[in-house]
Amino acid sequence: MPVNRRRFIKQGIGMVSLGVVMPRVWLTGARAQTSDPNRRVLVVIQLSGGNDGLNTVIPYTDPNYRRLRPNLGFKEADLKDGQGRSTIISNQFGFHPALAEVKQLFDDGKVAVVLGVGYPEPSQSHFLSEDYWHTANLVDGKGSGWLGRYAEEALAGQAGFHAAAIGGRLPRTLMSDRFVVPSIFNFSDYGFRTSPAFPANRPNKLAAMNALYSRRFPEGSFKGVAGGVGFDAVSGSIRLTEAIQGYTSTVVYPDSNPLARAMKMVAQMIVTIPEANLLHAEVGGFDNHAEQITDTNMSGLHALLLQNFSQAVKLFHDDMAEHGLADNVLILPWSEFGRRPEENGSRGTDHGSSSCMFVIGNKVRGGLYGEQPSLAAADLDVSGNLKSKVDFRSVYATVLEDWLDADSNAILRGRFDNLGVLASGAGG
Amino acid sequence: MASLTYAEAAHLLRRAGFGGPPQEINQLVALGRENAVDLLVDYELVNNKEFDKALGRGFNVKRPSPLEMQSLWVARMMLTRRPFEEKMTLFWHNHFATSYTKVFFSLMHVQNNVLRQHAVDRFDTLLLKVSQDAAMLIWLDGITNVVGSPNENFARELQELFTMGINDEVTGEPNYTEKDVKEIARAFTGWKFKLKKQDVFKPAFLFIPSQHDSTAKEIYGQTASFTGEDVITVICARRATGRHLVKRFFEFFVYPLADSPEDKATIEKFADVYFARDHSVKELARAIFASDEFFSERARFGLVKNPAELLVGAARMLGAGYSLQGRETADFFSLFFLNQMGMELFNPPNVSGWALHARWLMTSTLLQRFNFAGFLADSRPSVPPLRGPTISDEVVRGLAAPTAAGTVENMLSRLGPLEVDDEAKRILSDYLQTDDQGNRIEFMVNDETLRKYVRGLLHMVLCMQEFQLN
Repeated sequence: MPVNRRRFIKQGIGMVSLGVVMPRVWLTGARAQTSDPNRRVLVVIQLSGGNDGLNTVIPYTDPNYRRLRPNLGFKEADLKDGQGRSTIISNQFGFHPALAEVKQLFDDGKVAVVLGVGYPEPSQSHFLSEDYWHTANLVDGKGSGWLGRYAEEALAGQAGFHAAAIGGRLPRTLMSDRFVVPSIFNFSDYGFRTSPAFPANRPNKLAAMNALYSRRFPEGSFKGVAGGVGFDAVSGSIRLTEAIQGYTSTVVYPDSNPLARAMKMVAQMIVTIPEANLLHAEVGGFDNHAEQITDTNMSGLHALLLQNFSQAVKLFHDDMAEHGLADNVLILPWSEFGRRPEENGSRGTDHGSSSCMFVIGNKVRGGLYGEQPSLAAADLDVSGNLKSKVDFRSVYATVLEDWLDADSNAILRGRFDNLGVLASGAGG
Repeated sequence: MASLTYAEAAHLLRRAGFGGPPQEINQLVALGRENAVDLLVDYELVNNKEFDKALGRGFNVKRPSPLEMQSLWVARMMLTRRPFEEKMTLFWHNHFATSYTKVFFSLMHVQNNVLRQHAVDRFDTLLLKVSQDAAMLIWLDGITNVVGSPNENFARELQELFTMGINDEVTGEPNYTEKDVKEIARAFTGWKFKLKKQDVFKPAFLFIPSQHDSTAKEIYGQTASFTGEDVITVICARRATGRHLVKRFFEFFVYPLADSPEDKATIEKFADVYFARDHSVKELARAIFASDEFFSERARFGLVKNPAELLVGAARMLGAGYSLQGRETADFFSLFFLNQMGMELFNPPNVSGWALHARWLMTSTLLQRFNFAGFLADSRPSVPPLRGPTISDEVVRGLAAPTAAGTVENMLSRLGPLEVDDEAKRILSDYLQTDDQGNRIEFMVNDETLRKYVRGLLHMVLCMQEFQLN
């Protein structure tokens, strides 16, 4: 239903391509000459809606799991991917059968599975819980994002195209008052267009925009925000449009997989822009209150979402390997909460709390971390949800310290255990 | 009767509607504050028959196709003589945020009509109608919520998003417990809908007693065999609901509220109106629009325009042409840019609606605001007409003055009036007086300068930070 660009053009209004003439002031991109062996790229993937952790990393031997999930649950015999290969990863746990590619990466030692991740006094509101995860601020979930604060510390004031989020909305994770992170819906629409009738007037318009958007307004005012974002939007789009022309790959990302489409864009930027090291993609649909499964637990919404996730991660990983960057990339997927252990009457699950988390990359020490919370009735909280064992901020702290070489205490405003998921000095 | 300046009248028309050309603003000035507010708020008194007829000629109003449904609403915003009706419908669409990604489009169309029909009704009535409408029953899984296996989705969002919020807006105390969520879910069991004569445009609410849990529930400390209707009545009478509605209203129509004693007092002041006027949305709106808070310095340009306000506002302020006919069924221009600017109608990002204020101003969405501005500035009516806003040469000529500075003043006045610093005026004036080689030229009004420079100036002013604000 959304009107796409082709449809719009069909109506008869053409778009002028990005001009070749532009004022020098916009061309501020830094350009590294060679690839940096110490480069560290972080790709965060938000699985919006609350992914069902119990049906992602499945405690298939736990009788309580089978009791709580009479329809949605997986038996040991179910834990086989489409080609009949087992997705069991230990004598207690197995991956959802749709996670075939992630299982391969796990077998290669590239996936750390952290069990029992959550936070104290969990909120079952999507929006509050998401804000807690975005900001790492468990007081009220307000303020800048945890990676926004990292960007302020590490990147503010440096020229270049350091970070981007795929999608029209910038996730709060990357929000900051002092550092603008571009959000990109698709590359072809990411540019400042001027009148096709007067192409030679384009430099004058860019100059006027430059001057208008260089005016100073009080920090934090809406005019101030618009000013900062608008300036970066125009300049960044020029740099980006130039750069991504240089991308080629043999990896084919299927159009039918929305996360794969986003990961292709992430790959294009990482490959062609040496300083693009902080990327974010999002995929929704995990709020499966109903029809999480259809006829069998192998079909339905959740299986499709996990299959898309698994495929997209693997294609992206292969693409990075093709460009010699696989050692330089870390993937961190997250979701605002897990789902309730006890399934509801709609072949779905209501909002839960603690869940599992993946950390994926060549420099990860693969294996199981954390601790699975007990599913026994007496051990669940008053809402019937799992009690978490690992604070999600520990995962953040680990990534900040061992991947981004950042001061986790300052960024997270507190000390959290390092989980040892990454080999110390991983990239170096 | 308080008087109303031109700038104040323009502010009122932008907020309660989408803005308008000078004659509409002057009409409000002549009425004074209270009467101007009444004219907008009591919109049922405005004769909209001609417009409805024209709409009927341009669209299948009763049974639109998906794109036609989106386009139909844009056309309403563009041309209605009751702008507040459409603005409130948009407000409620954002409040009861429902998307065609889960709900079949025809049922979204029906919901849109429910929102419009009850836009300024008692809040209890609106809430009940929306809750019993097919779109919401599907969207938050109400139809799967049955005795013995309740589904909490609606019960949670009803409290968190539609009425009270998690915590009280004034005291900060939690408004409900997880137990309340579970108990309220049971109260709403057995709510279904059916399609009359299998018609996807004709859903009807259905209560199935055998699927309803009629046992006692303990809600907010009271125990009774509550039904869904009972719960709605109970919640609408809670102080927290009045306070939360005021907060939502301010964020959309006035200014974002802070966590300060003054702003809490403001919430209380208007929550009192909600309760004194029997939960009437119309009376709440009237009181807020006529208030000193609404006309304060803080309110003026104190919000960020949402994409519909930007797109429709630009067209209405300029007096753009807008054809209801065309060889295509929909206004692809507007639908494309609303989508690109982050506000595809009938498809909010999630049940909490669109993130407002600075969250509209991302690099991608701001670029699309700039590009919308450019395309609108270049647009001209065509024969046969295309659907979508167009700016005629006559409109452009009307904006030009003999001097560059005068032309800049006209443009800023027409698109706000925008309050702009001298530096911006100089930049815009320079743009009008610079040729493609960068040489200084004298500004003169002729057909070529109108097409190139005055339309170019329009593009630039629509791109300005000031125009992004409401």
